[in-house]
Amino acid sequence: MDGLNHFLGAIAEIGFSAQIIVVFWATLLGITVGMIPGLTATLGVALVTTLTFTMEQNTAILVLICVYIGAIYGGGRTAILLNIPGTPANAASALEGFPLARKGRAGEAMAVATTGSFLGSVVGMVGLALVAPWLAEFALDFTSFEFFWLAVFGIVLCGQLTAMDDALKGWIAGFFGLLVAMVGQESIHAYARFSYGIRDLEGGFGLLPVLVGAFGCTEVFIVMRQEATRAVAGKVTGVFHSALSSFGHARTWLRSGFIGTFMGVVPGVGEDMGAWVSYAAAKRASKRKEEYGQGSTEGLLAAETGNNAAVPGALIPVLTLAIPGSAPAAVLLAAMIIHGLRPGPLIMITQADFFYSVVAMVFWASCAMLILGLLLTRPLLLILKVRREWLMGIIFVLCTVGAFAIAGRIFDVWVMIGFGLIGFLMREAGFPVAPMILGVVLGPILDNNLRRSLALTQGDPIPFVTRPISAVIATLVFLIIIFSLPPVRRRVASLRTRFMGGER
Amino acid sequence: MMRTMNRTDFLSGLVVAALGAAGLVEALRMPRFEARGADPFTVPGLTPGLLSAILCVLGVVLVLRGMSGRVLSESARPSITQWTRASAIRTLFTIVMVLLYGTLLFGRMPFFHATALFVFVFTVGAELIDTERRLPAWKLLIGGLLLACSAAYAIDFVFTDLFLVRLPG
Repeated sequence: MDGLNHFLGAIAEIGFSAQIIVVFWATLLGITVGMIPGLTATLGVALVTTLTFTMEQNTAILVLICVYIGAIYGGGRTAILLNIPGTPANAASALEGFPLARKGRAGEAMAVATTGSFLGSVVGMVGLALVAPWLAEFALDFTSFEFFWLAVFGIVLCGQLTAMDDALKGWIAGFFGLLVAMVGQESIHAYARFSYGIRDLEGGFGLLPVLVGAFGCTEVFIVMRQEATRAVAGKVTGVFHSALSSFGHARTWLRSGFIGTFMGVVPGVGEDMGAWVSYAAAKRASKRKEEYGQGSTEGLLAAETGNNAAVPGALIPVLTLAIPGSAPAAVLLAAMIIHGLRPGPLIMITQADFFYSVVAMVFWASCAMLILGLLLTRPLLLILKVRREWLMGIIFVLCTVGAFAIAGRIFDVWVMIGFGLIGFLMREAGFPVAPMILGVVLGPILDNNLRRSLALTQGDPIPFVTRPISAVIATLVFLIIIFSLPPVRRRVASLRTRFMGGER
Repeated sequence: MMRTMNRTDFLSGLVVAALGAAGLVEALRMPRFEARGADPFTVPGLTPGLLSAILCVLGVVLVLRGMSGRVLSESARPSITQWTRASAIRTLFTIVMVLLYGTLLFGRMPFFHATALFVFVFTVGAELIDTERRLPAWKLLIGGLLLACSAAYAIDFVFTDLFLVRLPG
């Protein structure tokens, strides 16, 4: 009840102040960023972070959350009209949205995507409000042993889920990220690792330059490498009718909302998997499976609900464990730290007001997304007419300024370009980038907690697997690895085929 | 059916294994602070050493998988070997431009000039190498110039005057 009062108070505080204007412009900015092919939610949040330095901390986080939610939603427009996902989280939406647009039902598709995104955000927001306080309380029992395993769990699971059926490459990306995080001064002896006397390296790689490089600069290379795309022309009609009818598919959006929220909670996985798993679950449960792939509004609703539900879901581990649920959430975590906030298990004790403000921010951003998405359906289409040749140069300038602005160092610009090239090569060679970023975030957590635990036990590794919570997380890590091995997967698939009568 | 070597996996596995091996060697060379009486389980090289060893092992597994020629699924097939002439030229152009701006222009001359020059050359250059370009050259040059100047001015104004970020040059 106390929580509800805090939440309603935060809703009123934003709704009856000038911050409501911030909500609308920031969400519109996010939608625009998401709609432009090549601009991901991660890049949008990273670039806007540099604009929030001089803002008051709650306003800054409000802007970033609005941009985050807006961008994940905006990417759906590009998926529907161009058949390329505006952000990776909208890839599943393209499967159903584009065929709908080609049938002349683009307006209907955009309305369904808007309603789905709104409902997903709301379900995720409820999940955030209910799960985060419980998880924060539970995490108070975590010691260095548990935090070590949590970091390993994040890398192993993220690597497994984001690597397109190739867990090995996901794990390599994750462990590479952890190794990157080892560069610079460590916290126990203040020894500068892998620095070779280079002063800039002694401070380590900044998270934001690495993020902007791996997502922004890489995206510039990827967009320029691909062939140009053209938007589907067609009438935009039936928007409001379709939006209302989407509310009727309660089973689909509730199921997708739950799945999306859960995928958001899993460290480093986030919106992409939220959309894909929701889409797959909707297809499995559907009575009209034959429509999938040909333009199914149900499939589109599931995908868009799933990816937007993952946004509040991804905020749960950010706020309670200081571990990001997704790549944009990693930037948000960095931004919170830059603005003097301290996410972690103590958040409900020391900053309960801030926590409920974040829930209220998600609520208002979702409302703004729904209103703007439905009212500006036609004007927003103009964004898709911009040619990439006229845009990518400016995007790269923004990446450069974003990387530079944090510390005013030219070195960070070189780091950004370096990680842009690394990210490009990784993606071209089939390695996912998200586990690498998660590795960079989790590296210090893993390092400090491993050495602290070993010092406490005088080198005895047994407590890592005998303490109850540690044992559970360690078992999960072990099971993920075992079930990712191709021979085990083949065996499981053949058993499933045998027991389920050939249905897969 | 005979399998051919998966060169992308083989080469990337080699790079990863080499990186892991190099990291391991460097981790072993890190000081142990015995003179300070430091706890041996807090030495700086412990975590990097473990991570490098894991990376090395994973790299070797990838090398072996590459040699076996096995691709886990079509969705996991890398695109690095699939290039058209046009996409190779565009990519090379982008990389060269990005490196020029980031290493030679940014920070070495006033932000407005560096950015306007980069945006102009990037936009016009990217359009000129596009075989489907419909815009005549004079329109492209004027448009590129307008875009470059307005973008450089807007970014400079927003960051410097509105958000009080000090830009170089």
